[in-house]
Amino acid sequence: MDVMLIEHMMNPKNYGTLSSANAEGMGKNPQNGEKVVVYIHVKEDEVKPYIDEITFQAIGCTTTIVAGSMLTEEAKGLTLDGAKNLVAATMQLLDKLPPEDAACSEMVALAIKAAVDTYEKRKEEEDYPPITYQVTNDCTPKEESVDENTAD
Amino acid sequence: MKTLLIKTHEAWLEMLTAAFMSRTESKQILFDFSDILFRHFTWIEHELIRTGEAYDYDRGIIPVKVTRLNDILKVTVSRLLEIDLQLLGTEDRDLAARISADITYMVDVLQKLNDEVVTAFNMERKLPGTELTEEATDALTLFLFDESYKEYELIMIYNYLKAHSNDAFLNRIFQILIDESFFHLKSFGEMMAKMGILAVPRVVMKELYEVDDVVQFLKDGIEEELAAKEECKRLSDAVGNDSEMLSKFFDFINHQENYHIALMKDALAHFQKVNNG
Repeated sequence: MDVMLIEHMMNPKNYGTLSSANAEGMGKNPQNGEKVVVYIHVKEDEVKPYIDEITFQAIGCTTTIVAGSMLTEEAKGLTLDGAKNLVAATMQLLDKLPPEDAACSEMVALAIKAAVDTYEKRKEEEDYPPITYQVTNDCTPKEESVDENTAD
Repeated sequence: MKTLLIKTHEAWLEMLTAAFMSRTESKQILFDFSDILFRHFTWIEHELIRTGEAYDYDRGIIPVKVTRLNDILKVTVSRLLEIDLQLLGTEDRDLAARISADITYMVDVLQKLNDEVVTAFNMERKLPGTELTEEATDALTLFLFDESYKEYELIMIYNYLKAHSNDAFLNRIFQILIDESFFHLKSFGEMMAKMGILAVPRVVMKELYEVDDVVQFLKDGIEEELAAKEECKRLSDAVGNDSEMLSKFFDFINHQENYHIALMKDALAHFQKVNNG
């Protein structure tokens, strides 16, 4: 486990709510009830709007917190297209991760996507409710799945 | 009052973290003071409930990374003095006087404590007297971050439920569960400090403690305790070859979960009995 990961565990970046948020979105794992909420403030007085503030809160494990800390740091300062690219790039990496880590990272990425999509919907409809996306990755470690399937 | 609750919450956690950092006789003093601040927190909460003022358990980030104990104690003293000032505007003068007298004493003691070098943030991840493999160290690290937060979360949930219930039977159970979680939080925090990975637990999301359905909450809680038992067993197995002492400790925590499950089952049966007439 490298020092950077431990640093994110000890001091997760951008954790909490955001009173100035103009959109929020949720990523959810229906399998175990874990969820991540991402709050964004998009700065609008620019030619290209960008995320100038982003925070997250989670009901989840330490891996989710580390993923939230790292991905929200990456998303800070990105344009909306940039944030969508970050989400897409993260989703492409999920296959390379252990299943439990993949589900956690997917949940955070989907929460960022949900917040950006909510923001865009609110440009057309001010009171549009926060969007929620559900993960598709199974967070059960493979060996446990095998045990369950082979149990008498 | 709401600001007072937030500041007291922060001071409590900061004092608790300072206790984990200390390696001398100051440790017990700091633990005792953190317990006092938690009690202040509950008194202020009751006053908020009595006066009907809305509140939650949100708070600010508490920066605790220091290399000398005095550095954190100075910040804690400033926090306490700020709380003392806030008390001037408190309507309940008896409550304010009680808290203020405690603060005056604590500030006096804190200013006289000896300074110490703090190693609780060095990230070395070594437990004195124990040689763990890298795999076991990683498993223990993840466990400590997950479970220290979980214990803090449980303290906050049971405290909220207790604050909003007048049922003596349930409140007795909630108080035992709070005490048990404090013991676990202190055990895990101590271990994190020794390993150089000490951290303040993150803020608990409102929807976790503002429980709408107590029956479902207790049912889910029993399932979570069963999962925690499995986690302790896994960890005990993972560190068993390297450290008999650690293995025994996690078996002990595992067995304690049986008591928590029994208490939650009692609470569930009582709640259902009362609510079904």
